[in-house]
Amino acid sequence: MPNDATEPMSRTDGTTAVRRREFLKVLGASTAAATAVGCTNEHVEQLIPYLTSPDNTVPGVSTYFATTCRECATACGVIAEVRDGRAIKLEGNPDHPLNHGALCARGQSALQGLYNPDRFRTPMLRQNGSLTPTTWETAITTLTQRIAGARAQGQNVVFINQAESGSFPSFIDSWLGAFGFPAHIAYDAEVDLAAREANRQQYGGVQAPTYDFAAAKLIVSFGADFLETWGASVPQQLAFGDARAALADAPRFIYIGPRRSLTGLNADDWIPARAGSELGIVNALLAASGAGGSGTLAAAAQAAGVEPAVLERLSTDLRAATSSLVLAGTTGPDAFQVAAAVNTLNRSLGNEGKTVKPAEPIASLAGPVAGVAHLAPVIARMNSGAVPLAFVRGANPAHTTPKQMQFATAFAKVPFKVSFSSVPDETTLLCDLVLPDHHSLESWGDAQPVPGTVGLQQPVMEPVFTTRATADVLLGIARADATLASRFPVATYREWLTARLGGPAALTAALPSGMIAGAVEARTATAPESDAPGETAPLASQTGDFDLVVYLSPTLGDGRGANKPWLQELPDPVTKICWQSVVEIHPLTAGRLRIKPGDHVTVTTSAGTVTAPAYLYLGVRQDTVAIATGQGHTGYGRYAERVGVNALDLLTGSPNGSGGLALTQLKASLTKTTDRSMLVSTEGSARQHGRGVAQAVTAADLLAGRSEEHEAFPGDKPHEFLPGLKSPVASDAIGDLGKNEHKEQGMYKPDHWSGMAKRRWAMTIDLARCTGCSACVTACYAENNIPTVGARWQGRSLRPFHTSDGSGWDTRPGANILKGREMAWLRIERYFEGGEDGSSEFEARFAPMLCQHCGNAPCESVCPVFATYHAPDGLNIQVYNRCVGTRYCSNACPYKVRYFNWHGFGVPARRQYAFPEPLNWQLNPDVTVRGLGVMEKCTFCVQRIREAENRATLEKREVAPDEFTVACAQACPSRAILFGDAADERWTMAKTVQDARRYHVFEELNTYTAVVYLKKVTHPREEPNAARPAGGAE
Amino acid sequence: MRLSRNWAIVPGFFAIAIAAAILSAYSGASSSQGVAPEQPINFPHPVHVQTLGMNCLYCHYSANKSPDPGMPAVGTCMGCHTIIGPQRPARDSQPARTSEEIKKLQDYSAKKQPIPWIRIHKLPEYVHFPHMRHVNAGVTCQTCHGKIQEMARVGQFASLNMGWCLNCHVNGYNAADGMRAAGYEPTPADTAAPIKKARYDCGVCHY
Repeated sequence: MPNDATEPMSRTDGTTAVRRREFLKVLGASTAAATAVGCTNEHVEQLIPYLTSPDNTVPGVSTYFATTCRECATACGVIAEVRDGRAIKLEGNPDHPLNHGALCARGQSALQGLYNPDRFRTPMLRQNGSLTPTTWETAITTLTQRIAGARAQGQNVVFINQAESGSFPSFIDSWLGAFGFPAHIAYDAEVDLAAREANRQQYGGVQAPTYDFAAAKLIVSFGADFLETWGASVPQQLAFGDARAALADAPRFIYIGPRRSLTGLNADDWIPARAGSELGIVNALLAASGAGGSGTLAAAAQAAGVEPAVLERLSTDLRAATSSLVLAGTTGPDAFQVAAAVNTLNRSLGNEGKTVKPAEPIASLAGPVAGVAHLAPVIARMNSGAVPLAFVRGANPAHTTPKQMQFATAFAKVPFKVSFSSVPDETTLLCDLVLPDHHSLESWGDAQPVPGTVGLQQPVMEPVFTTRATADVLLGIARADATLASRFPVATYREWLTARLGGPAALTAALPSGMIAGAVEARTATAPESDAPGETAPLASQTGDFDLVVYLSPTLGDGRGANKPWLQELPDPVTKICWQSVVEIHPLTAGRLRIKPGDHVTVTTSAGTVTAPAYLYLGVRQDTVAIATGQGHTGYGRYAERVGVNALDLLTGSPNGSGGLALTQLKASLTKTTDRSMLVSTEGSARQHGRGVAQAVTAADLLAGRSEEHEAFPGDKPHEFLPGLKSPVASDAIGDLGKNEHKEQGMYKPDHWSGMAKRRWAMTIDLARCTGCSACVTACYAENNIPTVGARWQGRSLRPFHTSDGSGWDTRPGANILKGREMAWLRIERYFEGGEDGSSEFEARFAPMLCQHCGNAPCESVCPVFATYHAPDGLNIQVYNRCVGTRYCSNACPYKVRYFNWHGFGVPARRQYAFPEPLNWQLNPDVTVRGLGVMEKCTFCVQRIREAENRATLEKREVAPDEFTVACAQACPSRAILFGDAADERWTMAKTVQDARRYHVFEELNTYTAVVYLKKVTHPREEPNAARPAGGAE
Repeated sequence: MRLSRNWAIVPGFFAIAIAAAILSAYSGASSSQGVAPEQPINFPHPVHVQTLGMNCLYCHYSANKSPDPGMPAVGTCMGCHTIIGPQRPARDSQPARTSEEIKKLQDYSAKKQPIPWIRIHKLPEYVHFPHMRHVNAGVTCQTCHGKIQEMARVGQFASLNMGWCLNCHVNGYNAADGMRAAGYEPTPADTAAPIKKARYDCGVCHY
């Protein structure tokens, strides 16, 4: 498929050739054992060169391609790092107008979609009831015949595509139109259709305005989780992080909703309003400010189950704020009305154009998107047998619609169903023909992030399997039809795109930046017909003990992330649960019902039942239970299988006022069962116990120069650092503790002739910016070949003991994590302050925790084999080949950031191998894949340091300040992490070392850590009349 | 009491020492030094380097700019061997002859298959060896690889063990010695060049 190779890439010529990636596989993996040589026990490896040398690449040196992320509809710009023909890392494109270089955890994980071991290798055709591999020729012939057969009933053909921006949606429509089929349905279960529709009506057609968080003095969110799943999360995180970076002048943030989400945990105040009461609150706020609306604050407070004074204060503050920003992202049946009322409120508060900017829309979040209400008539038609042919691409409605809607049953009645999915999923497994699409990193495309700019999507490598781009398949079928060929005068979709983006020269010129000025054709199709399937009665009028809140998982989304081990292993930022579904219950409620953490509880609604372990969470109302979407897959590959439950089973297809699924619609009852299972959590304790790991300072104290008290620990009085964050003492591996002559040297003298001692690699983590989103964690997994350990087959052997499934292995999802064997070199610790009595007035703090690269490291002095030591440039080095696995260092580490490789997760021959082919193609060749029995930990991305040093030496210069950064800092969407040389003040990081908010975790231990934390700044409500304390920060 | 307990440790130490000695002898610092396997094509370095005077970097094209030295693509070989075929005419008082090896090369090229060379120099995966740093520091190829230009069949010249690496990193590289190892007379500049040492803390290569 020559059309699928980008310009800078090479390929072998001819079809009989060994494909380059196939022999690179041998070159890279270097495991081809042929014969034994001599009398040694070493195996012979082969060294396979290129057939033809690629022009623009140097073996062993990365090439970078700018492309577009397609993991959600936002379409951030990414740079794909490609080494020897394989994509190994995704990073945000710094020049992109939306994400400015940042990338979320889901975006990082696109690589695990590309290399997913469950991907279809070939087209699949249903024969004798099961999907069996077939050839592309057969598959396309079959499809061509089916299309010809369906043309008589053409108006009933259904094409469901993922919601995406760019030229492709209109391309599908023109293709469908050519055959006389109706326009496709763009379906996305994650999109907040209510907010979009309200915006469209009130902002002159703009569906997604940008929000200027920094311009606001008060931010109020009605359930809008803008840091995770609501809207364009990465741009919003960047803006929110910048707003919070104003420290004492930063906006106060109030979150209103029955469950405190990750966004809610970042708020200064949480008003735990009952589900379904939000509309009353907004209307009362409107009425209170004399801008229409109805009802009183007292009545709204009564309905919301909160103190009237709370809403009075909210109303006063909103009116008093010079500028504010109100967001609505509720998920009840009245979500549209809430969103519309909030838009009116913003207008009455004068926020429109100031903090809400319809003039600067996010173009990728526009266009007609379908929700459950739009699928309902389709389901009815499929049920009646009228639909002769159905296509589905990039969407999985069999999993993302409530079971009660019976999508799967109806879909099964369609005589011929075609899926373009490249991985098996619930919908695809019902299909009769699978034509696996290229992954977005293998194919051409475009997106429209902002008006006037088109984001380009180009293949960054040769396809992993014999897949074909759906656009090319569709083009081929149309061109094979003599009557239609003239409508499609191009051979490939690339040419089709090129013609629309200004010709080959313009495209070639634009590819390096991944962007081109212009606009893509807007879809002419209008929103599909909607048939609201029986709206549910308001929650307040239903009977049942609890309000049920179903929310989109920040890591797995509507479930599309569940087949990627990085996302399964990434603990939910709020609950810290991974590889599991939990029912969130308030601790007081649980106490009343005698439910303990891990007890299985059955949640029953009028629509269905699920049973899952209980998780006690302070951040849900006492009369509310909450469950995340995303799990409970039945056919989504090995990582998703038999993990958790599908929360949508509890819902009806009731819409939210503009076609989307109402996630908060029913009352539920709760029954405790006799079963229990351990919670798969990476959390040690949710409380700091006075240790001061995540410290905070109020805005007032910051201005007055006061600091929070935390319990004083006994021990040596903290010494000051030497200049450049260097340690005045070193309890190093040399063993001469306390001797004067060794006080100032590590394993090597600081004036070592190499000159490296002048450096002190260090990091600053600004907790005022950190939102806990965990993008850094996944970036670290991607960069450092960290194995995921929670899959069902990665547990330990239990032989000769009995196991419930008879396998002799611990096959519980997350079995290793239950034993504390997770490998996350970087973790986000989430602590609660206050709320011990169960009150809703608690604060959450997030602290990314990684190896602190202590100048005086407790781990170093206990290692009996010198496997860990202090390098002259300030790194705490772990030498895997020296390590014998005593684990003394982990025992000694006060930060618990050392991880032991218990099962040889990097050894291909082992059952617990974390990178089954082709997931191992993603492995970073610059980082050792650790084997059994070694200790591992954060290296400060030493491979990037070495790469920068090598590059600088090659160019005969010094490493320049801010020349490179580490993976976590690069990804961080709130720009909370800075990396640099603390001993060289030209680095941006070094400028933050003396910040007034600085502290080192466990300073009293005199470990002289290289990670500087900057305290979080909280904004407790000040009485409007109370004067601010005078004086500066210092 | 205290004394006797201390003495009781001694047999334990002996046992550990013996076990360590056995383990070390059995699996310890092994090396493939001297191994010279038969290759799919008997590529004659002497002809290319000595007779034709080709530079190492012509084929190993990324040795001075990448950690990876680069193995020549089949296309690189065929750049010359499309013209220089297996049939060599009689000239320079030598009789005509047929080269089986060039025939093999052309076969690989015709079949569009890469040549499955047997790997000789291989460092463990936990070591990162950047070729370009060494080449650009002026270390001659032969310092580590031996006089490749004289090897009819290439074998592993050095042990490639860590002690061998550190020998240079700690004591330094002497340009004159490097030239002698390569089989050339050092120039006065080489002799005058200062000894180049390199960093030797573990984290420079092991990560």
